[in-house]
Amino acid sequence: MITAKGLYKRYRNTVAVDHLSFDVRPGVVTGFLGPNGSGKSTTMRLMLGLDHGEGETLFDGQRFGTIRRPMNEVGALLEAKPFHPTRSARNHLRMLAAGNRIADKRVDEVMEFVGLGDVKRKKPKGYSLGMAQRLGLAQALLGDPRTLLLDEPTNGLDPHGIHWMRDVLKTLAAEGRTIFVSSHLLSEMQLMADELVVIGRGTMIFNGDVDTFVREFTQSQVVVRGPEAAGLAETLKSEGAEVVAEGDALVVSGLEIGKVGHLAFTAGVELHELSTRRASLEEAFMSATGASGQFVAKEPVRAAAPAAPEGEAL
Amino acid sequence: MLDALRFEWTRLLTLRSTYWLIGVGLLVTTGVAVLLGVAGRNDPINAEVVWIALNGAAGFGLPFLAVFMAIIGIFACGHEYRHGTIQPTLTSLPQRNRLIVAKLVVVLTTTLVVTLAQMAINLGVVYVVWGEAPGLFEDPLGTSMIGYVLYVLLYVLVGFGLGLLFRGVPSALVVIFLMPLIIENMIFGLSTIPALDWLVPVVKFLPFTDGARMMELAAPNFGPEMPDFDLFSRWAAGGVFAAFAALILTAAWVLFKKRDA
Repeated sequence: MITAKGLYKRYRNTVAVDHLSFDVRPGVVTGFLGPNGSGKSTTMRLMLGLDHGEGETLFDGQRFGTIRRPMNEVGALLEAKPFHPTRSARNHLRMLAAGNRIADKRVDEVMEFVGLGDVKRKKPKGYSLGMAQRLGLAQALLGDPRTLLLDEPTNGLDPHGIHWMRDVLKTLAAEGRTIFVSSHLLSEMQLMADELVVIGRGTMIFNGDVDTFVREFTQSQVVVRGPEAAGLAETLKSEGAEVVAEGDALVVSGLEIGKVGHLAFTAGVELHELSTRRASLEEAFMSATGASGQFVAKEPVRAAAPAAPEGEAL
Repeated sequence: MLDALRFEWTRLLTLRSTYWLIGVGLLVTTGVAVLLGVAGRNDPINAEVVWIALNGAAGFGLPFLAVFMAIIGIFACGHEYRHGTIQPTLTSLPQRNRLIVAKLVVVLTTTLVVTLAQMAINLGVVYVVWGEAPGLFEDPLGTSMIGYVLYVLLYVLVGFGLGLLFRGVPSALVVIFLMPLIIENMIFGLSTIPALDWLVPVVKFLPFTDGARMMELAAPNFGPEMPDFDLFSRWAAGGVFAAFAALILTAAWVLFKKRDA
């Protein structure tokens, strides 16, 4: 269990983390989301005492700096390639293990586990980003800790690697461990995370389960399909709904599915489909953090906008 | 503390640079003793030859071993920042004081062992060539040998402090080479110009020059044309070098505790 209270960090005139408080429960994967520059990495560094700021983080009731052999309690992966280029991967882990009374045998075990057993005596300067991430995970798992803090662990991994990482983290969570993981891959986070901490410009936007986040930050839509569906549009709009045509279907926002069904029945319109379209985590994320991105790129400019037969508002 | 020492010992032993820096340091200093032996094998040996042979030419301004060991001192912390390993290090050993103490103990112990080994190797060369080492355990040669060991240790301490202070390798290397070789020599040279005689009182506080005086055989005699520098005694000069090392180390340590990793 991680309990973060009042985390605060200021760099001169910029508040990077603004009094963040949240809990990360064991047994589930908790995703940590936020736009670039929102303070995710700084928050993780504050939690581990790498950065100085205000507030307190407790790992199963203990501050990180007071844990005698912390790798046995908390495993961390914060940077993609924090290795000396000419020290072998195995020796890098042996060094960290030596400071936490972890046997060399365990070093070989975790190297095998992350799939680097064949290259463990090679120097990390020759590792790809994906291999470096695997070594980082091996480092985090070295002490078989109950808590894992991972900053963008899927960066640089190929699709197989991402799938593997997801399975590993879900399995570790199922063993009752506390998993706190940040990622920019929202589709991946949707599959991996059970709970979310979402921040923007260092402040808390949301802390809770994924379904609630999506529900809270998106409008659910109702899909209506049928030979006479277009004729229902005016009726729906008169009830305050926003209606968009998508081929032979209508996508209705602002009305519950039951109400749409009732209106169709009352109007005598034959329907072949009446369903709810659930928004994605990405849509919810964009909606929740739209105003809090620190580095916002310009929209691409197209030379000529093609006519769009679909998605036209009625 | 034992965990931190174990970590630091493994860190030092798993770096290739540790071996080649020590190896080159020993090779060069042994080379000095061998060169002396080849050149002077037919001449009778005296305390001055033993002195130069044992300190590997550090006595006349070329402290080879001290420089190579100081680079190991710089790497102790400089490498951590240069390669970003300070993050895994501090998530493995979050108690910063304990980490620095462990680094100091390991680097200084290694330096002491290597320095004593270098002196033993060079003494072996002296015995092989001349069969004796006159005045080795007598003053001033014996005292200057103790001074040599202290000089190397303090030189390494300065390197360690600079690596931690600058949180990198290049800046620390520049300072540790530039200061004794250029800045101090320049101040000393300029102080002999009458128009710049206000620099004369500064000379006795030049830290690396003072440090080198710990291993001198006799007090320097600059001749009647030179100003009176009113130099400190051997151990007082050593105290200036030690104070300089302590100042660098304290500043670096305080900042290390205060700064983000």
